[in-house]
Amino acid sequence: MIRDIFFMSLDALRSHKIRTFLTLVGVIIGIGSVIIVTTAGTSVKSFIEEQWNIFNPTGMVIGIGTATDPPQISFNKVAFTDHDIAEMKKLPHVKDVAPVGLLPLKAVKLKEGFLKWQSKPGGTMYATTSALLDILGLKIDQGRIFQEGKKEVVISKSISQIFGKDKPLQVGDTIYIQRIDGKTIKTTVVGIFKESESTSLLSQVTALSIAGPVNPYYSSYFGSNIGGILKRITGYGILSATADDKEHVTDAKNEILAYLNSSKSDAIKYKDKNSDFVVVTQQYILSKVDQIMSVMSMLITAIAMISLVVGGIGIANIMFATVTERTREIGTMMAIGAKRGDILRLFLFQSSMIGLMGGIFGCIIGASGGAFIIEVLNRYLREIGTFSSGRITLIYSSEWFIIAVIFGIAIGIVAGVLPARKAAKMDPVIALRYE
Amino acid sequence: MHWLLDKMPKEYIIETHSVTKIYKMGKQEFRALNGVSLNIKKGDFLAIMGPSGSGKSTFMNLLGCLDRPTSGEILLDGERTSEMRDNELAEVRGKKIGFIFQTFNLVPTMNALRNVALPMVFGGIPRADREKKAHDLLKKVGIENWATHLPSELSGGQQQRVAIARALANDPLIILADEPTGNLDRKTGEQVMKLLSSITKEGKTILLVTHDHSLKKYTNRVINMIDGRISGRA
Repeated sequence: MIRDIFFMSLDALRSHKIRTFLTLVGVIIGIGSVIIVTTAGTSVKSFIEEQWNIFNPTGMVIGIGTATDPPQISFNKVAFTDHDIAEMKKLPHVKDVAPVGLLPLKAVKLKEGFLKWQSKPGGTMYATTSALLDILGLKIDQGRIFQEGKKEVVISKSISQIFGKDKPLQVGDTIYIQRIDGKTIKTTVVGIFKESESTSLLSQVTALSIAGPVNPYYSSYFGSNIGGILKRITGYGILSATADDKEHVTDAKNEILAYLNSSKSDAIKYKDKNSDFVVVTQQYILSKVDQIMSVMSMLITAIAMISLVVGGIGIANIMFATVTERTREIGTMMAIGAKRGDILRLFLFQSSMIGLMGGIFGCIIGASGGAFIIEVLNRYLREIGTFSSGRITLIYSSEWFIIAVIFGIAIGIVAGVLPARKAAKMDPVIALRYE
Repeated sequence: MHWLLDKMPKEYIIETHSVTKIYKMGKQEFRALNGVSLNIKKGDFLAIMGPSGSGKSTFMNLLGCLDRPTSGEILLDGERTSEMRDNELAEVRGKKIGFIFQTFNLVPTMNALRNVALPMVFGGIPRADREKKAHDLLKKVGIENWATHLPSELSGGQQQRVAIARALANDPLIILADEPTGNLDRKTGEQVMKLLSSITKEGKTILLVTHDHSLKKYTNRVINMIDGRISGRA
């Protein structure tokens, strides 16, 4: 009999198609937007994670600044020494540490003939060790890595083309690097970086344009008075490090901070008192991205909830109208043997069917809306970067579809309870007399 | 005399004893029925007549288990319906009573066949059985060719025939017909009355509520009501 009552409630919906559709719209919008948000969110999140994982997920940056949340690193403060680097390499969960000597360049020059120069304003050069390439996951396409103490650099593909795409710099070419202090160093290009396979926005940010050894390019010194003899010690503002594995990133971070703040470190002596040592891990950045994404999706979900509540009120409203309109019919059904429970079920089925259909159509709209948004984002990604060949893969999270459908039914039931009770409680005598 | 008492309940399918019904409207009381006692025999085609406000519809509602009396007793097939709960009343209505209304009251979204089968849905009869029976009933009232039509596609007379078939669906003890010809033209009304009359000849009991005196000729017993009382028998 329940089956028959169920089909009777379908009849009622079928006989008022436009009304049913209009009632559905509210629920469809609500559920559709939840699905769009979760689909876009899941897809973009996995895209970002994928991008970050290209360069080492165990990586971290060590700097000097303020240890707030989020931490701030000041690039102009210098405190770390080669001694610190060597000591930190020995820490149990630290795999490698590399200096990142930032060298802002005035220009990169090319000698094209006698007294004929071509000069391009240069960006930043990184004076470092080969360890940094491992940390960042960078590979060399042509040539080899620079050697410490030699006037050698490895350049990126885009730098190789700054003097024209038609005559790119080759391994073995000589260029002149002019530091911000005016000093020009004659340099040999010994290697060209490989462009990362899934070259992405994010790897581009940290891709090294020009990388060379600390000596002879980097010159940031402390005067250290040891036993009356003035000694010059190289100091760095930024270091980069890796942990043994993903699980020990926090351990490595804590060990590094403990070392730096201990009396054994040089850095504690050279840093000004108001600054902190700051370690920013790749995982931390990832968790921040995660946080921003979840705040955004919560916001949109909240809006979706409002539209679901409005949709629910719409269902309740139309159900009340239906119950009133069918008063005489309800009276008739009671007269021919329908129990109050039958009438209750009849209208509850009807409202939950609206909810169910809203859920299903909402899922369909949401799935296509999500696919559309990812497509738009992918087009945008393609447009903004010649370097960006990364694509967001469309990922549907099936659990949200199930939640959405169940939620749709739930809204239908909740919205239908009062109207259905009103119908079930009718006095058959009065209902039969209703005009 | 004991042997007679044993037989009595079987003869009277409905007995009412001093039934009253008082409606309260705010602080005012309205006495719709003022002590009605009536027995109805199996096979009766009984007409209750009276002007509007005489209490005839109220009385029919009580007999039809749509409502409970304020005081007094109603026995339907020996069962005391005057003190039943809502669900029990619904079950009695479904199994023992067939209703025919002035306004037909068919479910507009269902075709004729499904309308006739509807009481059997609530009675829990399997689909195949009730469809067969509904079909037989449509044949009996002479509109089997209209089985798949919606009420809106049928004439008034045809709709009332569907309603009569529906009233017969659960083999009721008694059929309550409230002004069944009120919305029909004279000729169609006569056809409907002839149909009802032929049904009583098969042993069904019908209680007709009307103020149309021309319908008396189809019945075998007439009761006049006025001011909530039975005023006389014709």
